[in-house]
Amino acid sequence: MAHTVVLLCRCFGEIDGVVDLDGIAGRLREQKQDMSVYLLDSLCQEDDGPKIETLLREEKAREVVAALCAGDRGYHPLRNALRKAGIGPSGHATVDLREGCAWVHRSDPAGATEKALDLVSMALAALAEKEPSRDVTTAVHPSCAILGAGPAGLAAAAALAGQGIHVHLLDRADRPGGMLNLISKIYPEDDDGKSRIDPFVREVEANERITFHPRSRVTAATGFAGNFRITAEGPDGPFRFRAGAVIIATGAGIFLPRGLYRYGELKEVITQIELERQWIRGTPEKKRFAFIQCVGARSSERPYCSTICCPSSLKNAMRVVAEVPGGEATVFHRDIMTPGSVLEEYYRRTMEKGVQFVRFREDDPPEILGEKAVEAVRVRDAGSGKEHVLPVETVVLSTPLVPNRDNGALSALFRVGLDSHGFFSETYPLHPLETRLDGIFIAGSARWPVSSEKAVEQGQGAAMKALALLGRDRISALSLSRTPEEKPGHGTVAENACTGCGNCVAVCPFEACALQERDGGRFVSRVNKMRCKACGSCVSVCPNGTMQIPEHNYRVTAAMIRRSFSA
Amino acid sequence: MNAEKNKQGLQGGEKKGKAGAPSPKILVFACRWCGGIGAGRAGWKRMDLPVSFRVIPVECAALVEPDAIFRALASGIDGVAVLGCHIGGCRYNEANHAALKRLELVKVLLDTAGIGGRRLLLAFGTAHEDHQFAEVIRNFHEFIGKEPSLKPWLGAGEDIFLRREE
Repeated sequence: MAHTVVLLCRCFGEIDGVVDLDGIAGRLREQKQDMSVYLLDSLCQEDDGPKIETLLREEKAREVVAALCAGDRGYHPLRNALRKAGIGPSGHATVDLREGCAWVHRSDPAGATEKALDLVSMALAALAEKEPSRDVTTAVHPSCAILGAGPAGLAAAAALAGQGIHVHLLDRADRPGGMLNLISKIYPEDDDGKSRIDPFVREVEANERITFHPRSRVTAATGFAGNFRITAEGPDGPFRFRAGAVIIATGAGIFLPRGLYRYGELKEVITQIELERQWIRGTPEKKRFAFIQCVGARSSERPYCSTICCPSSLKNAMRVVAEVPGGEATVFHRDIMTPGSVLEEYYRRTMEKGVQFVRFREDDPPEILGEKAVEAVRVRDAGSGKEHVLPVETVVLSTPLVPNRDNGALSALFRVGLDSHGFFSETYPLHPLETRLDGIFIAGSARWPVSSEKAVEQGQGAAMKALALLGRDRISALSLSRTPEEKPGHGTVAENACTGCGNCVAVCPFEACALQERDGGRFVSRVNKMRCKACGSCVSVCPNGTMQIPEHNYRVTAAMIRRSFSA
Repeated sequence: MNAEKNKQGLQGGEKKGKAGAPSPKILVFACRWCGGIGAGRAGWKRMDLPVSFRVIPVECAALVEPDAIFRALASGIDGVAVLGCHIGGCRYNEANHAALKRLELVKVLLDTAGIGGRRLLLAFGTAHEDHQFAEVIRNFHEFIGKEPSLKPWLGAGEDIFLRREE
């Protein structure tokens, strides 16, 4: 019979100021022979760890119940002590007596004490039924698939290759660079568009560990963290490779403002990208420029700010004033979004250079005047309410970045989620750059509209996160956890009782279950432990209780229900 | 198991206030994320809550089997609440959506059986919102307190339940 140790934490009076821990200790000691109960002032201070470890070793403890706070800080000293004393995850349970009991029942200490005893009894009963999940390990392929060779993908590729990881870099275009290939100058340094990515492009060309696949798209993806099997289609036909991790950096598309501000009707009404193309060809001929912000953005269809359009307009407005002889620029806006000190300074510089700003209201946008060509902009100033007509020759529309048309297909392929706008969603806010699947990361505008500077940062960040996985020789299924603790088990099938109904296969959000054929034509469910995240969906839909998560199986729940109300 | 002694509750020792007042019994399955975090934050704010509920933490509301709810009600618990993450906010790829649909069906079954689907409360939204958790608990406590006890109908059922576990 396992020796059980119960650690009751006083939390320096926060718990035992309300809950009668001595009384509870007394009741517990009466219950079970093979159990020791300790009252401690704390379980979280630095020197508590070794103290607890010594205590557990002396007691030859096999099971531990710790009654303490809710543990937002991760219980590190306690967890270390448990690990060092040789007690695995299915050998201990924690009980929240502080946030869940003492702190919310201060007006009823006797009731709180009864509840606390019940909660500890529930944990003891649960422990008796908890079983460990069988773990599996797999070799990690030291390679990464990076989809998209824009600034995010390039930065990620360079970072990973620099750490010895083989990189498969795929892009739809025939050269790296992404959207930066279309930009003449980038803000705020006003450097040449390619300068930001030149070092990465050079790395891609020089480093043998990076294989660049131009004009390629992923068509199928199976596997799991450490061992993804990717099929792609390239100019020479399909090709396959393995990757330990995947970084999705496919960027975003640009919204074309058809029907807005007479775009498509008058040829002098253009988008920012078209203006960049003009700059690449040479100095524009027209002199009087109007920039209109938030075209198709911050509206009911696209209720977000696309981050880069205001700084882009400021950049181009300053350029018009500086490089076009007699050039004039007016920015028509609802708000100017330039966060941070660098962009704030950029904004002030733009005003100093003589660029004009006119604010309009969302429900009263400017009007483009002119029969066959742009002649003027009519606008009602939001501050004064007065209407102005400004003669202009070119109207530049700032339109938002929008999700790529491929995002839906790609998300279905990898089983990663899209947010409500259609961008790849991350497990926000606790796990930036990570998707819901282990080993698949996102960076750059595929995740959310960002400047190329931020895309580079995110690419490097995603590379570092991927490296946490790729740098290991082997990983275990239980270690694939987003929390400091291990994964709380995984779905386990009792093969002799599985009827092969397939409910679990249908319901699993991570496609971790599959039916396999056995002798005699029977089908039984098999859980891919690397993909399973222990959500429990399979358990709930199993018709005969065959599928269980051993650490929280039905006997655990039943035992906890039984002990829940002793009075 | 010393089931007898357990049933007596905490006697003797220093009493710190009122005890033994009749109270509904509410079992709360709280998912570790929105549900549990909301409950924790209610604790940080020292919100005052009735002592009538016990929390069983689960990784995700999807782990709550319909069977567990029936067992709870059959063992003398008056109401069961399942707290999960808000729609669109489950970190297990919308496992909570399927769970919500399943549990709504359990409500229908409880109604059909005459037990009352109202005894099952589904609150998928207590995302980091302590006042929401507190409101859910307080309202459910008040509501369940007014519901007739299931005790007259438990009788032999309770014994069968216990025997199966031995």
